[in-house]
Amino acid sequence: MSENIHVRRRKWWHRWLLMPGELRERGVVGINMRNARYLLPNNPRRLYRLVDDKLQTKALAEAHGLSVPETYTVIRSPHDAARLEQKLAKHPSFVIKPACGSGGKGVLVIDGRDAMGRFLKPSGSALTVAEVRHHVANILAGLFSLGGQRDQALVEYRVHPARVLTAISYQGAPDVRLVMLHGYPVMAMLRAATRESDGRANLHQGAIGIGIDLATGRTIRAVHHGKPVTRHPDLDVDLIGVQIPQWERILEIAVTCQEMTGLGYLGVDLMVDETLGPLMIEVNARPGLAIQMANGVGLMARLDPVVLQHRMHPGASWEDKIAFSKQQFAVEE
Amino acid sequence: MSDKWKLAVAVIVLLLVGSGVATYKTLRLGIPFWRGEQVHDWQIEARVSFIATGRALKARLSLPATAVENHAGQESGSLGYHYHIENNLGEYTALWSAAQREGSQALYYRLRIPESTRSGGEPLPAAAVEAVNPGFTGQLLEAATAMVTRATSLTHDPDSLFVALFKQIQGEAGAQELVVLKRHYQKEHGENALIQMGIDLLQMAGVPARISFGVRLDEKETGSQPPLPLVEYFDGAYWKVRDPARPGSVLDGRAIFVWHRGGGPLLEVTGGEGSRVVFTVVRDRIPMATLADLRESPLLVSTILGLPLSERAVFRYVVLIPLGAFVVVVMRNILGVATLGTFMPVLIALALLEIPLARGLIMFSVLVAAGLWFRFLLSRLNLLVVPRVAACVVIVTLLMMLLGVLGYRFGMSVGVQVTLFPMIIIAWTIERMSLIWEEEGKRSAIIQVAGSLMVAVLAFMFMKIGQVQYWAFYFPELLLVLLAGILMIGRYTGYRLSELFRFKTFADS
Repeated sequence: MSENIHVRRRKWWHRWLLMPGELRERGVVGINMRNARYLLPNNPRRLYRLVDDKLQTKALAEAHGLSVPETYTVIRSPHDAARLEQKLAKHPSFVIKPACGSGGKGVLVIDGRDAMGRFLKPSGSALTVAEVRHHVANILAGLFSLGGQRDQALVEYRVHPARVLTAISYQGAPDVRLVMLHGYPVMAMLRAATRESDGRANLHQGAIGIGIDLATGRTIRAVHHGKPVTRHPDLDVDLIGVQIPQWERILEIAVTCQEMTGLGYLGVDLMVDETLGPLMIEVNARPGLAIQMANGVGLMARLDPVVLQHRMHPGASWEDKIAFSKQQFAVEE
Repeated sequence: MSDKWKLAVAVIVLLLVGSGVATYKTLRLGIPFWRGEQVHDWQIEARVSFIATGRALKARLSLPATAVENHAGQESGSLGYHYHIENNLGEYTALWSAAQREGSQALYYRLRIPESTRSGGEPLPAAAVEAVNPGFTGQLLEAATAMVTRATSLTHDPDSLFVALFKQIQGEAGAQELVVLKRHYQKEHGENALIQMGIDLLQMAGVPARISFGVRLDEKETGSQPPLPLVEYFDGAYWKVRDPARPGSVLDGRAIFVWHRGGGPLLEVTGGEGSRVVFTVVRDRIPMATLADLRESPLLVSTILGLPLSERAVFRYVVLIPLGAFVVVVMRNILGVATLGTFMPVLIALALLEIPLARGLIMFSVLVAAGLWFRFLLSRLNLLVVPRVAACVVIVTLLMMLLGVLGYRFGMSVGVQVTLFPMIIIAWTIERMSLIWEEEGKRSAIIQVAGSLMVAVLAFMFMKIGQVQYWAFYFPELLLVLLAGILMIGRYTGYRLSELFRFKTFADS
């Protein structure tokens, strides 16, 4: 892309904010615009339940030949919860999550057991069986579910992320988020935990957002608390130029997720397992906007060409779509 | 594109209906649009005075039919007289009688009429009547004929004749015949000479006419005023009352009230001498509920007055909720303030309406803080969610009672009102807050509660504005205008204010 690089002069107010016109000029998408222009027209309400219920999403994904973390058990009732210990006995590590949770709420990661049989979190703190059961009861009561209705608890395989990714994340497992429009990958980022974020991947809790070049799968920019960084604040390793393993496969999974859900605008979360490769974790029908900051690019600059391309080639194959995105959104070195 | 049109049409329809009904209510039904404006009514007092001659007394004062029929708060006060209102085929007369009286006497009749565009001089349908020729003779007949001919040469329409004749009478450059007539009438009739003359000329021209009396509604006119002579004439179907001083215009109910029509005497006193009646008018503020035009209109149901008194207290709050919701919409979608629960701030704002703001906020903080502490104690018991929230409700309730009792002991009577705080909402707020506390840390928990409180206070301040409340009570259709605003915000795709800060990192890109 031959774009005139003109240096914008920094104004005194840029220390605190940007004017709406300046944001628009940079193609930044706000929540209102995301909802009105991309979510509402492209994501029919009836499709939401496919992605809001992780059980359904996983079943759908497996039917489409995607790899997902193995489901050990589903706890549907207090009766199941009472027999939690037996069910978990043969799994040293696992993840408990609400089937209808959002934004990583209510996700409990267990890495192993200590000598007393207590469950250990990645941070090292221990939980008794009763505490785990209480957490499950909270999930069942719908404390973490979107509408507050009763929910189910999902116990599944604890992903062991590829070493190249654990190297840039403090304790937590980094995940890859792709935003798609009409099946075209639009933007991607890696979310790495910090000591501050306590193993979580939520940027506003202090995780690092790392932008990924769609063409190559290499990290290009990192943002911590909204400020660009190049090294991990806790681990002091380089965050830029890291190659995400099996990038091609990740793009394919993302495109398949769009095809299987039928959602026009969605976010796909993946993790790259050391042995199993990329696993689809969840599909998000309302992907957040922090990905723009991680990449330093406004979403509109990427969504507008896709809208145009989709209008001109409505029946494009997934190979075409990936090729278009890689070519169109490549970041020049 | 078509969605955009649908929205535009919906917004325009809502705006038109809302403001249209409000305009109608203001202009036609007389509900003031601004709160400070008061509705007034006129209190008119007729004072009948005469000197009793010692014989049996009887005084008759003709009364305005419209006012009596509408039960417009009449009263009369005269010690020692027998008093009643006589109804003679729709014409009302106040009748005082006494056996023997001497010396100067005063009788009072008081009437309240709403400030309205109706003067009481509206056209009155009647069977056709014949004009009575006044029977001029000699020089007078010549003069009168000349004047009538001049008028009828132009028109035969009664309305126009009325205007034409009275314009002639008032004419400065008096024609010779006018001078003759005037001199005669001033000798015969005294003060109402010109009016009587006009009536006689009208009759001669074939238009039945008679004298009528009104009261000038002028606040500046302090003290008493004599009856204002008016002319009632028959246009072939209706009796109409007009002010001869302004023959061209229909009577303005805001300036003149027609007290007496129908041709009979205004005042009749037997057994007394030197009788006369004078009027005093006072402009009074009245409660909106007695607005006559409004009471008769089906649109009464569109104000708080359409409800029985006992329901009004509830309605007062119900109608404010949309205002709070509007504030929440603005705060969330345009400013981007994070709140705990979408409409929780509205409920807090409603509670604040009952309690002084500072105390309400302190109460809320104390309740939430104490509740949170109990919630953490409860979490050690590993309770299920619903029992836990229910336990929280019990704790919050007890805390409220405690605060109420303490407040009472320390002489703060408002302590008791705290019970209006939505307890269930507070319990859920505590529950949600404790979750966020655990999941995202205390910073974001406190930020969200502070955001909710800020929105609640803003909603409260919005709902507290007297003018806003007034509109909500008396012009609920303006909520449609609010709805139009909400619909438009629903399609707002611009940045939220908070996003200007959130995305500041793009300054360098």
